[in-house]
Amino acid sequence: MPSDRGLIRARHWLRLSEWADMLPVLAGRAAWRLGPPLVGIALFLALWQVAHWHYGAFILPSPWQTAAATLTALSGLAGWAALGATLARVLVALGLSAVIGGGIGLLAGYVTLIRATLAPVATILLGMPATAWVILTMIWFGPSHGAILFTIAIVTGPILYIGTVDAVRSRDRHLEDMAASFGATALARFHRVALRQILAALGPVIGIALALGFKVAIMAELVTNVAGLGAEMARARAQMDIDMALANVALAVTGLLLIEHLLIRPLQTRTGHWQGPDA
Amino acid sequence: MSGLTLATISHAFAGRRVLDTVSLVIRPGELVALVGPSGSGKSTLAAIAGGILKPDRGRIMRRYARHGMVFQQSRLMPWVDARDNIAFPLRLAGMSADRIAARVQAAAEAVALRRDDLSKRPDALSGGMRARVAIARALAVEPDFLIFDEPFAALDPALRRRMQDLVLSLSGARGFGGLFITHDLSEAARLAHRIAVLDRQGKGITGSLAPPGQPGTRSESAVFDFVETARAEPLLHDLVNVDERALPLESTCDMSGFRRCC
Repeated sequence: MPSDRGLIRARHWLRLSEWADMLPVLAGRAAWRLGPPLVGIALFLALWQVAHWHYGAFILPSPWQTAAATLTALSGLAGWAALGATLARVLVALGLSAVIGGGIGLLAGYVTLIRATLAPVATILLGMPATAWVILTMIWFGPSHGAILFTIAIVTGPILYIGTVDAVRSRDRHLEDMAASFGATALARFHRVALRQILAALGPVIGIALALGFKVAIMAELVTNVAGLGAEMARARAQMDIDMALANVALAVTGLLLIEHLLIRPLQTRTGHWQGPDA
Repeated sequence: MSGLTLATISHAFAGRRVLDTVSLVIRPGELVALVGPSGSGKSTLAAIAGGILKPDRGRIMRRYARHGMVFQQSRLMPWVDARDNIAFPLRLAGMSADRIAARVQAAAEAVALRRDDLSKRPDALSGGMRARVAIARALAVEPDFLIFDEPFAALDPALRRRMQDLVLSLSGARGFGGLFITHDLSEAARLAHRIAVLDRQGKGITGSLAPPGQPGTRSESAVFDFVETARAEPLLHDLVNVDERALPLESTCDMSGFRRCC
């Protein structure tokens, strides 16, 4: 009979051989998952480089020059302060519009009268160009921190409102009937059954609102010249510093990606994990 | 022992009357199958019996402590696993974690769910397993009355039969009474002490039939013979012969009501 140690060793070998068998499959899966995005990034950088060769560094710096300028911007406190100011504004304004737009959307999703009353208002607000809001808030509030916050909130609020209304309306009400049959109160049905579905449906909408909030923040900062990435871009434009302008664009995109991957994606995963990776 | 009385129940959705003075008495320990054509208001009556809907008129007298309900298409919450789905009504009741774990385990064993099935989410379970989880969820509250709303309608015949056997064995072991909504006469004849027939327009119970013997003791041939004989009964004429295309549109599909089928 084989000893215990022999059995353990045999089990280890078995596991190792299983892993060895699985390795090509896992590598194939990883290549399938990561390959296409990497090819896409490489293609984008290659096109950028070709355009740089064609137009020259004065019009379009190379990706490498832009990366160097980005590092230069981040090597000083001013770069971090600009990035931090824009990020903070986007987060505060998005939180504000989530509370107001999402809150009213929740009410409107449940109450037909509120929904019908607010439908034309939401359509008008959605149709207003972000630039118009920037001009209006400049006149109303002057070039201030509050003006930028208001602009981001008023642009993203209607999106979150409509997203919340749709999320409430598209929830599976059969599940709430099921909960009612087990004696769940209206509050318990909302808290334990409806809210989970609403949050899951809201994930992609929050992602869109975030991206839009960033664009609006930079535009508003650029116009109002209030500290932030937009103001840095305005400065780069005034000094005809194309490297710095692109570095600020790169910082804005990086900031957006950071928030999306550190905040939004985990929230989406947490609230909508049952819908599968492609949902 | 448990029973339920629905007295002169009337209900309307958006001005359209679905149930009109329907009365049904289920005696203690009795399992009554309610049959009727599509759109006759069976599920609305089940929802009223289950406390999901409040009827516009009529009285409900429940002579039991707790009921459990099993729905068509299981109605499991897709974001939690089978264990948490079964535990859902117990958490609603504010039960302690230890008691919940014990109840879930007992309910899962009663419907022959394996331990590894309990950690799967509904999308990883087959139709039959989902039906078992839904029954286990209803059993977890230790009900003395069960309401089934066409729970096996979406299952294939072999699976439906296994689920019927499960209901028979549970009903035999626990002795609960219940209301079983179905449009399948054979299913009703296998499971129920009595078959009540709902009018095609929900205007009351038109009558009852009692298959010979007790549920669980009827042979296949006895069920078959009963169904064949019953098909000729005038009472079941609408159930057997109704063509849903001949029904007015508002009767075939409940847009705003409990089923929200369209």
